[in-house]
Amino acid sequence: MILQGRTISRGKAVGEVIKLEEPLSFLGGVDGATGELRVEKEGNVADRVLVFPRGKGSTVGSFVMYDLMVHGKAPFAVINSSAETIVATGAVISSIPMIDSVDVDLLHDGDKVIVDADRGTVDIIDVNVIECSSSVLMIGDRFLMLHRPSTARSYPGRWSLVSGKMEDGESPEDTARREIMEETGIMVGESSGTMDALIVRENDVIWKVHPFIFTVPDGTVPRINSENTEYRLCSIDDLDGLELVPLTKDAIVKLTGMI
Amino acid sequence: MQLTDKEQAILDGESGEGAQKAMELVVALGKIYRADGLVDITSAHLSGASYKTIGDGGLKYLEDMVAGGAKVSVNSTLNPIGMDRERWSEMHISESFAVKQNRIVELYGMMGIQKTCSCTPYVGPNVPKLGDHVAWAESSALSFVNSMIGARTNREGGPGALAAAILGKTANYGLHKTENRKPTVIIEADIGDSLFEHSLLGQAVGMRVGGGIPYYRGIKPGIEEGKTMAAAMAAAGAVAMFHVEGVTPEASNYDISELEVIHIGKDELKDAYEKVNTVDDVELIALGCPHLTEKEIHEIASLLKGRKKKGDTEIWFCTSKAIRDRCADDVKILEEFGPVLADTCMVVAPIEGTFSRTGTNSCKAGNYLPTLCSQKAMCRDIVDLMKVIS
Repeated sequence: MILQGRTISRGKAVGEVIKLEEPLSFLGGVDGATGELRVEKEGNVADRVLVFPRGKGSTVGSFVMYDLMVHGKAPFAVINSSAETIVATGAVISSIPMIDSVDVDLLHDGDKVIVDADRGTVDIIDVNVIECSSSVLMIGDRFLMLHRPSTARSYPGRWSLVSGKMEDGESPEDTARREIMEETGIMVGESSGTMDALIVRENDVIWKVHPFIFTVPDGTVPRINSENTEYRLCSIDDLDGLELVPLTKDAIVKLTGMI
Repeated sequence: MQLTDKEQAILDGESGEGAQKAMELVVALGKIYRADGLVDITSAHLSGASYKTIGDGGLKYLEDMVAGGAKVSVNSTLNPIGMDRERWSEMHISESFAVKQNRIVELYGMMGIQKTCSCTPYVGPNVPKLGDHVAWAESSALSFVNSMIGARTNREGGPGALAAAILGKTANYGLHKTENRKPTVIIEADIGDSLFEHSLLGQAVGMRVGGGIPYYRGIKPGIEEGKTMAAAMAAAGAVAMFHVEGVTPEASNYDISELEVIHIGKDELKDAYEKVNTVDDVELIALGCPHLTEKEIHEIASLLKGRKKKGDTEIWFCTSKAIRDRCADDVKILEEFGPVLADTCMVVAPIEGTFSRTGTNSCKAGNYLPTLCSQKAMCRDIVDLMKVIS
């Protein structure tokens, strides 16, 4: 799975991810001589692909990165959601490949990745990419939400749109229509809208989700199959109390805005 | 970001590795701030000069830059360092610190940077003109030249400013562009004439406007007042530019009729005062943040002339070497009370090894003494501070 980001500091690297969930100050956050982390998470940045949302703290952090390089303890590469000057400066002067504008939620500790900072890409290897469709089914002015059983293999117990994996030779929209038929017994025609695929990480799987919106007449009654335990017809406000599959609300807001 | 063919060639390494690295850094920073291209600069001012702040990583970086043949291509000056280069022992500095600090200055010199180390280069060796694009680090100095002179710079960091100085170019965004220099808020200042009240004014405004561009009414700052206000605003907030009605060169260029007006008077100065005062008695008094001008040295000498040093409190007067040399008679009077130190200040010197409570007349120092030097701080008018030691 190749993620496209933006070049900050050029170079290439192959390595294993060490991931921090919080913004990092190199000054105080990393020991310049040993590479040991001094934050809540334990570990060492040396010879790893260091992934964190963004830098923070003192500008001296740039020189801590240089110190790491001098001691042979620098990370192989740095990946941020959004670069700021301290880490960018440190990466460039220390010749550490760096890219930003990458969704760091897609990268997990221990992932093996190939970073090509000249092109601004990071390739996650050994991860299973599964394409699927996910549909907002409008019944009148409400949309259908389905509750997954606690035994579901992906996102158990969460509320989702009508979703399912693509089969060989199927187009994303065909998948959407088939899944709606299987899971609700409703036959739909052309979709009323779509958007760019969403990428979601769940453990060792990256879901590439093709979202669609379909409309059927008010009063149509869904007959759900065993893949789900319950359905609700919702408005946006009804979602607040529900535990949703990631990005569901964003997709609903965007797609319902198209019709 | 659009690069010219020549700039792209430098990025591709055709002018050598040093220039390539510099270009890579300027381009990376430009991308972060969505610059549309590069702009030619006429001067640079670099931070990252004190061994205390840059450490061994910074020292090695400079060694490697010099080994790679890096040279600046525009007039470039350096921020204060961690000690007076001759009188460091009077500052309780260790020899190992002094050796490394001197090496840092030497390395900057080898790259063609002037070895006067000051946060007020605009009073001497580095004076930009109205409309000049420059690449300056040091938050107080860059705000001063943006505002009081009308030169154009963003808040550069140490390595970024060095890279710009090597190339003679920096990324074109932010305050390099006329449309980003307009005021964002009007400050109606109702304060007295003293320098300290101007510092408190800067503190009060910095606390309120963050990274905005204040437009002042009701004050007529000269160099000293502009210097202390710029310093306090940058330390208490992130102000990189301000306008003063009837004083600064770009103040009348913009329509300000729609802007919010904030009143700063006695009550607001009192809040600012409380923010920067955490102690009432001190072991060290340090003046010269930013560095003392000739006029300030003369005024201090007038206050102290004919008086005697009293008590155990040490006092340092911080300025640049050039200004110390120019004020020989006044310096003699000051020296009766404490050292007149050149090229350093209490914020970048490692005072935390010797002192724990420091007094100053600068709100900038009042902000940084607790965080960078582990000090409790006392901020007072200079007249009150002189009473402590004389």
